[in-house]
Amino acid sequence: MTPPNRIARRALLALPAALAPLAARAQAMDPQRAAAFIQSTGEELVAVLNSSAPLAERRDQVAAILRRAVDIEGTGRFILGRWWRVATPAEQQEYLRLFEESLIRNLASRFGEFQGVRFSLGRSQARTEEDVLVTTLVERPNTAPLVLDWRVAEVNGQPRIVDLVAEGSSLRLTQRSEYSSVIQRNGNQVSALLAAMRAQNERLR
Amino acid sequence: MRLPSALAALLLLVALGACAARPPANDPEALAEFVETNDPLEPTNRAVYAVNGVLDAAVLRPVALAYRWVLPQPVRTGVRNVLGNLRAPTILANDLMQGEMQRAGITGARFLINSTLGLAGIFDVAEDHFGLRGHSEDFGQTLAVWGVAEGHYLYVPVLGPTNSRDLIGFAVDSVLSPWFWFGQGTAVEALRYSRVGLTVVDAREGVLDALDQIERSSLDPYAVLRSAYRQRRAAEIANSGVQAPQSAMGTGIGIGVPPARRDGPPSR
Repeated sequence: MTPPNRIARRALLALPAALAPLAARAQAMDPQRAAAFIQSTGEELVAVLNSSAPLAERRDQVAAILRRAVDIEGTGRFILGRWWRVATPAEQQEYLRLFEESLIRNLASRFGEFQGVRFSLGRSQARTEEDVLVTTLVERPNTAPLVLDWRVAEVNGQPRIVDLVAEGSSLRLTQRSEYSSVIQRNGNQVSALLAAMRAQNERLR
Repeated sequence: MRLPSALAALLLLVALGACAARPPANDPEALAEFVETNDPLEPTNRAVYAVNGVLDAAVLRPVALAYRWVLPQPVRTGVRNVLGNLRAPTILANDLMQGEMQRAGITGARFLINSTLGLAGIFDVAEDHFGLRGHSEDFGQTLAVWGVAEGHYLYVPVLGPTNSRDLIGFAVDSVLSPWFWFGQGTAVEALRYSRVGLTVVDAREGVLDALDQIERSSLDPYAVLRSAYRQRRAAEIANSGVQAPQSAMGTGIGIGVPPARRDGPPSR
């Protein structure tokens, strides 16, 4: 018979091992969960893209999905990069507002292209400790299929899209380079980027 | 324009070109970004980009649009397959130079199967019936595998985004190709020029939607292309299983790569 204190000690020793998966789950994104999240978000998006509802209604629906699924603040800050600290608090707020708007308008301006779109989940793989890359295959009529990888991270306990990778290039990295270039070519003024974003959103209206 | 004169014109342009100002050392973040962007010849590159944009809008893009409009998708796929098959010896040579024996085997087998059963490469029988999926390689990637740094970013007329290493790779690939040496006479010359012409049109058609989208939605299309090119090349060099575009402007690297499939991208 095992003495009670040994059982207690064994239980204590086993405790960290038992808790380890919990701790890991709190930090890292679970690939299955990320894949399920992309599956459901993708289905919602495809349903709206293929619906015959009026344009304005579809845009509102897409906006609601994007606000829920994308880590707009985190991604926006990542993209502004070193200029985030240069920007005034008012500029930061304005930037995030314009960033969200441009995200929605860009997608809305392409509704026609996505008519009849289908998507399927590829294999998903954990890339880093914080996020998971979920592979999807996007098929449109009369167009060669496209592989899109969605980077999913856990933000405030919820899975959120933080990046989109197409043909080896990450949208957030490309966009960071684009925005920084606009700021630098306009005398390092964040306000110049905001003006350009505002004009762009106007054009996509 | 023959390759040597094109290269000479390019070198002249680079020599005449202005340089972007390097940020001072007391601004480490700006300096880090300058290094990361890797575009010290930016003013010259932007000038070439602007001129090329005018030429593209006047000639290349309309031709690519007409090509898409006139020929149905299956025919264009056949053309792309033939061009890809003609690139196979180049891909094979680069597979071998990179020591990628398994990939070399696949490329060699694909070339044999598609040149015969695939009717001179029109049909990708190797993938459809033998499960041998194509990939692309070029000498720029081989140099990278050998440890050669990319050099400066360059924007070249017609070819588009590239860098010193990939441009040299492109020249070497052109000379390395057996079709550069094989045969003589008017008929062969005509075929050779047709191949170059078709390659340019096919490549431009392949990036029609992507470039239109960048042009329409980007605040600085030049910066977007530069960043996207660098990232895509890094992924291709790593053979990371990322799907290369079926055809690409720039160093023409993507040509010979079939479109994505339902079963997802290849693992390696």
